[in-house]
Amino acid sequence: MDLAVEMREITKVFKKVAANDKVNFNLKKGSIHGLLGENGAGKTTLMNCLYGLYQPESGKIFINGKNVRIDSPQKAMSLGVGMVHQHFMLVRPMTVVENIMLGLSSKRGPFLDTDRVERELLALSKRFNLNLEPKAKIWQLSVGEQQRVEILSALYRGAEILILDEPTAVLTPNEAQELFGILRMMRNDGKSVILISHKLEEILAIVDEVTVLRDGRLVGQAQVTAETTKRDLTSMMVGRDVLFNFKHETLKTGATKLMVNHLGARNDKGLPALKEVSFSISAGEILGFAGVDGNGQKELCEVLTGLRPTTSGEICLNGKELNRSSPKTFINEGIAHIPEDRHKTGLAMNMGIARNLILKNFSQSGFSSRGLLNFRAIKKNAERLMEEYAIKANGVHTKVKDLSGGNQQKVILARELSSKPEIIIANQPTRGLDIGATEYVRQKLLEESAKGAGVLLISADLEEILQLSDRIAVLYDGQIMGILGRNASVEEIGLLMAGVRTEEVEVC
Amino acid sequence: MLKENGIVKGFCHSVLPAVVTIALAFGVSALLLLFSSHSPIEAFSTLLTSAFGSPSRIAEVLIKTAPLMVMALGISVAFKSQVWNIGGDGQFTLGAIFAAFVALNLNLPGFIVLPVSFLAAFLGGALWGGLAGYLRAKFNANEVITTLMLNYVASYLLSWLIRYPMIDPDGHGFPQTSLLAQQYQLPIILSGTRLHVGILIALMIVLLGYLFWRSSLGFRIDLVGENEEAAKYCGINVSKTIILTMVISAGLCGVAGWGEVVGVQYRLLDNISSGYGNLAIVIALLGNLNPFGIAVSSFFFAALLVGGNTMQLMEGIPFSLITVIQGLVIVFVISRVVYTQWRDNVANRHFNRGAR
Repeated sequence: MDLAVEMREITKVFKKVAANDKVNFNLKKGSIHGLLGENGAGKTTLMNCLYGLYQPESGKIFINGKNVRIDSPQKAMSLGVGMVHQHFMLVRPMTVVENIMLGLSSKRGPFLDTDRVERELLALSKRFNLNLEPKAKIWQLSVGEQQRVEILSALYRGAEILILDEPTAVLTPNEAQELFGILRMMRNDGKSVILISHKLEEILAIVDEVTVLRDGRLVGQAQVTAETTKRDLTSMMVGRDVLFNFKHETLKTGATKLMVNHLGARNDKGLPALKEVSFSISAGEILGFAGVDGNGQKELCEVLTGLRPTTSGEICLNGKELNRSSPKTFINEGIAHIPEDRHKTGLAMNMGIARNLILKNFSQSGFSSRGLLNFRAIKKNAERLMEEYAIKANGVHTKVKDLSGGNQQKVILARELSSKPEIIIANQPTRGLDIGATEYVRQKLLEESAKGAGVLLISADLEEILQLSDRIAVLYDGQIMGILGRNASVEEIGLLMAGVRTEEVEVC
Repeated sequence: MLKENGIVKGFCHSVLPAVVTIALAFGVSALLLLFSSHSPIEAFSTLLTSAFGSPSRIAEVLIKTAPLMVMALGISVAFKSQVWNIGGDGQFTLGAIFAAFVALNLNLPGFIVLPVSFLAAFLGGALWGGLAGYLRAKFNANEVITTLMLNYVASYLLSWLIRYPMIDPDGHGFPQTSLLAQQYQLPIILSGTRLHVGILIALMIVLLGYLFWRSSLGFRIDLVGENEEAAKYCGINVSKTIILTMVISAGLCGVAGWGEVVGVQYRLLDNISSGYGNLAIVIALLGNLNPFGIAVSSFFFAALLVGGNTMQLMEGIPFSLITVIQGLVIVFVISRVVYTQWRDNVANRHFNRGAR
């Protein structure tokens, strides 16, 4: 079988972390190939290497059997490789034709060739059923149509190999079906398509072959046949080798601390993101939330910290109802939060460590008196916490942006845990950290639960969930599919993650 | 910016950039003068004597320093929390109107009327800026547009007031209010000049500004400017903080208007803010949004203004030199701001890539 693309042993390193580690990737001509993996598995990095945005440290790329060096997107396009990014690169006030003509040279010398291009685009659009009006302005188009403009643009530039990065993330289900129709037509036309995704249904619905990445490494490549199940793919995606071993004693859990009943909330687009979510956390317990990213984890965290309003249900902490309270109240009542995005949410990157350590309590009596900050106390606090949490930095005023990811996360841990929280909400607390820091964070969470705090742990890393949790809840499409005991198997969890509810799964 | 450790380091962070920027502007001006075959030394020494050649000229420089300093300080509070208040002129005007209204209508001794008019001026400016802050917080209305537009509203409001309701009855229809009584005028601190106590008040406000950034409220405003998302996450009410920021920022601009009414003009008249608002923005940026940096920068700009006015009367030296220097300072200030942003962007991009 002819290969359109062959990537051999691609390695790409960022800041000493390998985003791709000797990854092999083969794309057959005239097929749709799924590139599957969790967030941060290295899918986009690999494709950016193919599209010339990144240069791999080592490895070879063959296109149509020829060894090539792709050092720019221009070069990639000349080789017939086109890419549609997650974020469209279109000029909104301009028309479809104008956008597509950008950067192309005109055949009529200094004059624009709009009419000819328009005719060609119409023909191309008809051929692949893209259904686009070349004269329409971008801002008038729906997101799905804008995506088709990007596809049309790639086709017009002669793309034989089209890379789509999470194309359905922005689409409604109907639009996604339309997109798949277009992709099938392209396949029938002999073109090859690479579909980056972490959604299993999608992969099963449309691709011929799938390559799975995990932690920057290739974990498998397989034909997708009628027999392929979500279960097969899930186990490939999350893997099973155990990285760390923690002594997790079975603790006697205490009284119920956090009660959540029939909680509902909407996402940023106004669509239901949490539906009838109910669970409880006791003192000393770690409740893990497994699930594929984007199934309501972010919204759950925000609701439980007062950052997002609920549409129904109630949140009770130690018997006190908290819904409709301000974020300040949630903090004061003892809910600590290790946010998913430490740069955007958890830290003020341009401020020093000392200031970041008091972000939540700078106005309290220890750190300010009569409205003025007490710099001596702030410095002392920083020195103490930096030692206690082993934060490595030149001094207490080192800007947080100059710290490594692990030390940044330790600053957040120090701030959140030193407040002696009742409940700790940890969303992806080890994402992007090296092994040492990961281990440290997990150890700290265990210590806190041993001290009697309740921990809600959200993680895309199933190993992490299995190692730390006393019970495991699985989120799918904003609902809890089931809450399993700590001895649950990867298979059971995987099925629930894929939205399959079975009879045998015991819900406690 | 304001470091917890050491005055010296703080000084280097705040005043040094301003000094370097000014030196660069003078350096390039000198080159331009050489190209047009003028002697830079002669030109600069004329500028120097024009600004500082006699006690009364120094006094004039200080008189102009005061409002610029207070306004720039006000602007810096907003800029620090990434709220782009460019309506200093309008807030200045409202402050002036409120101050004049109190001083013209409150028949009490000066030691009561002056403080009351001071507070009224703060309130006047604060209302004007608070309105823009409210619109930004509630409806996400761009404060650049609203504060700018409110400048025009303020300017026409002033024009109307001094032509109709507040016009001087004995002024032969001249568009201005009547003169404030002697006891409602700020005392002169250097006899034989117009130098009034306003400069001392301005310096006190600068000291308060220094303390402000060491207060918990200052920290809150700083945090909202640094990272709004993180501020929300830390339980800070961002909308409230933005409104409060605008109130403080605009209130200070209003106070500058108070000084102009009770210290310099002793009445309301057209165009009372004389474009200080735009200068104040440049001064705030030149001073790196730091109170001491602002103090130095406003003194420099006041000297440039006074020196330029006097130079007009002399022969041989191109008066446009002043405009050139001002323009160059603005160019260098903006280059610095753009450069810092670019540097941070590059650093961030690098960082985020690494974190993937």
